[in-house]
Amino acid sequence: MNKIMYLEFERCIGCRACQAACRECGDHDAKERNYVEYVDFTESRQTFPMLCMQCKDPACARVCPANAIQITEEGVVLSAMEEKCIGCRNCTFGCPFGIPKFDFEKNKMYKCDMCYDRTREDIAPMCASVCPSDAIRFIDFDEMQQLRRRRTQMNLVEGKKPQEGNKWDYVPEFFGVYTDSQS
Amino acid sequence: MFKLEKSFYSKTSMYSFFTILILFLSMWVSTAQFLHIDMALLGYMIGSAVFAIGLVIRMSFWLFRTATNKIATRSVKNMFAKERLKRNAKSLGITLIDNILLQKFIFKRGLYRGIQHIMISWGCIISFAFTFGLTFGWFRFDLVDPETYQMVAFNIPLISMAANGWIAEIFYNMLNIGAVMVLIGVSMAMYRRFKDYDVKVTQRFEFDLLPLYILLAVTVTGLALTVSYKFLDGWMHPYISLIHQITVIIMLMYFPFGKLFHVPIRPLATAVPMSYQETLMVDTKTCKSCAQPYSNDDQIADVQAILKAQSFDLQLADGTYLSDYCPSCRRRMRALKQMNMEAPQGNPYGPVNTNNGIHISGFGKKRSDEYFGIDEDIKKDLKEEKDHEPISR
Repeated sequence: MNKIMYLEFERCIGCRACQAACRECGDHDAKERNYVEYVDFTESRQTFPMLCMQCKDPACARVCPANAIQITEEGVVLSAMEEKCIGCRNCTFGCPFGIPKFDFEKNKMYKCDMCYDRTREDIAPMCASVCPSDAIRFIDFDEMQQLRRRRTQMNLVEGKKPQEGNKWDYVPEFFGVYTDSQS
Repeated sequence: MFKLEKSFYSKTSMYSFFTILILFLSMWVSTAQFLHIDMALLGYMIGSAVFAIGLVIRMSFWLFRTATNKIATRSVKNMFAKERLKRNAKSLGITLIDNILLQKFIFKRGLYRGIQHIMISWGCIISFAFTFGLTFGWFRFDLVDPETYQMVAFNIPLISMAANGWIAEIFYNMLNIGAVMVLIGVSMAMYRRFKDYDVKVTQRFEFDLLPLYILLAVTVTGLALTVSYKFLDGWMHPYISLIHQITVIIMLMYFPFGKLFHVPIRPLATAVPMSYQETLMVDTKTCKSCAQPYSNDDQIADVQAILKAQSFDLQLADGTYLSDYCPSCRRRMRALKQMNMEAPQGNPYGPVNTNNGIHISGFGKKRSDEYFGIDEDIKKDLKEEKDHEPISR
């Protein structure tokens, strides 16, 4: 798997298509595993999508007392193995990003597995394939580098180079302004 | 204890040694100084001893893990706390009956899966109990007189039964009953593994299918033994019995290292109601940021200790840890961090200023002049004009 997930939070329009798509994915049992949330509902309607980072050394797996969270050879951190998960929810508290979800009824944890059946064949995960505003993208590593470079350039072009003292005045740099993705 | 440990190669070897010692002594007692040992089961006996060592090694390594160790030590400590007696009894009872005896949570995942699992697990438990009991001589059946059998457990005579009675018949066929249960369960599981696309997503041959094949081999050869001596006058019986012995030993060797190892680690589920969440979906610890309950203090303390022991640095500038916040606030913090939108000063738990002076929330506020990029003199003109503008827009 040479591709990566690329998120641009400020591109999110809050349509929740990614969540609907996630529910349709194989082995997801009609439950979404990603999040679309408001940055601050009292201030603006800006939403952001959130998925698992697929850490190299995942905190969730480290805090699991049953050793139930496994990492595939491609580096995808899978949901807790159903036969091992004892339902203690340590993973939901250990995860620095608050990703794992817990099903109290079935007594098991489930989390974003990047649609493992798709991504292991280099097909974009469900969320990335439906996102209408390209907030979630499944792209090559090189393309990601290019996009990131472009973002810094755009900042400079617009004269909005954030300083340490005033960066919060200018950010988010692309709030509602879409990056040029023609490159 | 430390001195004793030093005389062994490792902790695991010490535990293995004592396990074998206890097994040997239990055999010594229950077979009346090896008088009643069943030599026909010698292969199973050696296989079971190696299985015990494998199990001890795997269990030890599992318990040495930081996370497991933490929850296990807390549970053991809580178990003997007087004020928690009622809670412990309740948790143990619920886990034993609901989760192990009836396996309710698997039935909630689907009726098919529930039946499949309860068949395999209880079939295996019955067969294991009977096999280990007989091979280690923990219990045996003595012929008191030609009409009566007597069950002897740990060399203590227990119940007597008629040799042709229905109780005796159940005991004779205990392994057959177990085998039929496992056969039904394994066939159901294999059908599901082959047909269900959802399962195939994360399924691995050596982890998910191999144990089914091994269990199938054991049950089929075991039932073939019964078929052979009941209906075929013992045709091929010695060979089938040898094949059965081989398959059982393969299963015993596989047990501690594959999927079946979930059986001995599963009872840790008791620790959840006992040490962490007493009632399902009722939380007591509140989030530092949004003040919503999301967990309880003991569990968060454990999680933080586990992460600290494994050098995860998840402490924020103000001394709090990420696990002090509820998952939803943690997600928000990450997004804010990424978008460089965190509150720069003042109360870090207060509302976030998403107003950048360009994209304005609501109609009551004005954009900053900077946004329009208008020169100073034009701005001056505009300001003069503004004086004559109507108030309402």
